[in-house]
Amino acid sequence: MAPIIELKNVTKEFKVLNRREGLKGSLRDLFSRDYKTVRAVDNISMSIEQGEIIGYLGPNGAGKSTTIKMMTGVLEPTSGEITVDGTVPYYNRAKNAQKIGVVFGQRSQLWWALPLVESFKLLKDIYMIEDKPYKDMLALYQSLVDIEPLLHKTVRQMSLGQRTLSDILAAFLHDPKIVFLDEPTIGLDVSMKSKIRTLIHALNKEKNTTVILTTHDMGDVDALCRRIAIIDKGKMLYDNDIEHLKGFFGSYRTLKIRTDGDHKIQAEAIRAELPDFSVSADDEWISVLVDEDRQKVIDVLGQLQKSYDIRDMQLNEISTEEVIRKIYEEGVQ
Amino acid sequence: MKRKGLGFYLRIYVKILAQDIKSKMSYRADFFISTIGMICTNIAGFITFWILFRNFPSISGWNYYEMLFLYGFSLISLTPVQCLFDNNWSLRSYVYSGDFIKYCFRPINLFFYFQSEVFDIKGLGQLAFGIGTLVFAWVKIGLAFTPLMLLKLIVFLITASLIMIALQNAASATCFWIQNSFYILDLAYRFRDFAKYPVTIFSPVFKFIFTFIVPIAFIAYYPSLVILRPDTVPVLSWLSPVIGVVFFWLSYKFWMYGALKYNGTGS
Repeated sequence: MAPIIELKNVTKEFKVLNRREGLKGSLRDLFSRDYKTVRAVDNISMSIEQGEIIGYLGPNGAGKSTTIKMMTGVLEPTSGEITVDGTVPYYNRAKNAQKIGVVFGQRSQLWWALPLVESFKLLKDIYMIEDKPYKDMLALYQSLVDIEPLLHKTVRQMSLGQRTLSDILAAFLHDPKIVFLDEPTIGLDVSMKSKIRTLIHALNKEKNTTVILTTHDMGDVDALCRRIAIIDKGKMLYDNDIEHLKGFFGSYRTLKIRTDGDHKIQAEAIRAELPDFSVSADDEWISVLVDEDRQKVIDVLGQLQKSYDIRDMQLNEISTEEVIRKIYEEGVQ
Repeated sequence: MKRKGLGFYLRIYVKILAQDIKSKMSYRADFFISTIGMICTNIAGFITFWILFRNFPSISGWNYYEMLFLYGFSLISLTPVQCLFDNNWSLRSYVYSGDFIKYCFRPINLFFYFQSEVFDIKGLGQLAFGIGTLVFAWVKIGLAFTPLMLLKLIVFLITASLIMIALQNAASATCFWIQNSFYILDLAYRFRDFAKYPVTIFSPVFKFIFTFIVPIAFIAYYPSLVILRPDTVPVLSWLSPVIGVVFFWLSYKFWMYGALKYNGTGS
């Protein structure tokens, strides 16, 4: 079967004015033609099958949003080709929009002043959904989450969690082939997060919808994605099964300690003491990324305890940011 | 995919408007206060006009009732832009914050979807004022009321509305390129005050500008001539409907060009 989304050597460049400093510089900028080209997405190829849930990860400014904007037809790539279900999104924005659903974490696309059910009715008209599939979809929603109390509430009155939930339901309403979810669980509490993950999972199962999920929350990825793609500085760093990746980094733990005294200075000392591990520090914590294959966390802690007065500690799984940093620094074999 | 024709858009538009009005009515205090505000604005405008004419019996050969006609005509022709295209005022903030992108994900015309979202009900008060003034002036001047006159009136009211809408579209679309387009929009908004006066009172330079560059003279002056002075109508008056349509179409293209060029802020 042909892939539902195909990206071939996609590159997107933006022209950005070289800004000068100060008021005088700003005045000169008014007349400046001094542009530099920034490559937001650099030669990315990817192919996604119908029904997949793919986690699209990367730090802020990595090029995720730009890629999604190109796939949704809002932006045109500088070079390369994209096809979404056989059409080129940026040449047929409206036609493409009929086949996709989009949720941007904190930007509701629903009508603020309307009760949810009225928004749904408008969407039914806009997407020309027939009565039967519309009713079936509402019944399916009802079986997955209790939407009845939401239906008659205006979006304005909803909590962030309810609004996100509504936005996701609205995105799936016309039974699109692909749904793009940009940080759907951002800012939500634990129970809402899990509710939303369950919902996405169920809708994907039930309708075989392809889901492209961008997130910074590893919990989302663990709950939903079998495959992840990692992008940084516009380049694709990794595109494979998540199990594969965990194999690489499963033995990593982040050990965070809090001590008296200046964290920056102490981090320097720890770095000298533990040359194998990456050490970073902020006002709150000194973080040591420990590879347990080399040395047990408990041993590292023991070693540190001898030299420093540890007031508090935390032990974390390796975070998305750290995975990406590691991949970026060391590559993937 | 089925083709989405005029009927489709009209049906959706009516539904969205109905919802919007319904939700606005539910904020009762807001509704009444803004209605009172609108009435006060109109009364104030009218008083200014009246005081002016207590001091000058006529302006450039236009007498009080003829000027009143022009005034009423411009009020009516400003209603559509006020009621149906009010979201243009918010475009700037949508673009600035990056929220504009949400309009790009629906399988319908972008311009339509954006404008359909807001219906400013206050404009209806203005419409009532305009009709009242126009009818009063019509009777006082002693104009005949024939089907032909009515047809002329309707055609030229539509023309005038199109030009005002076009002016606002073009002004608001500048925000796709420049950050603070408020001043341009505000300028366009203020221009419409000049529409209430016969263009002959301005110096040749402004007369030229208001006819060919920012064609506000077409909002009330040239159309009114057709009805008030049918014997001495300049060719430009008869051209108004064409100019209205062309200008609206150009502003739509300009708006869409800006919108498609727009690429949102990072998120």
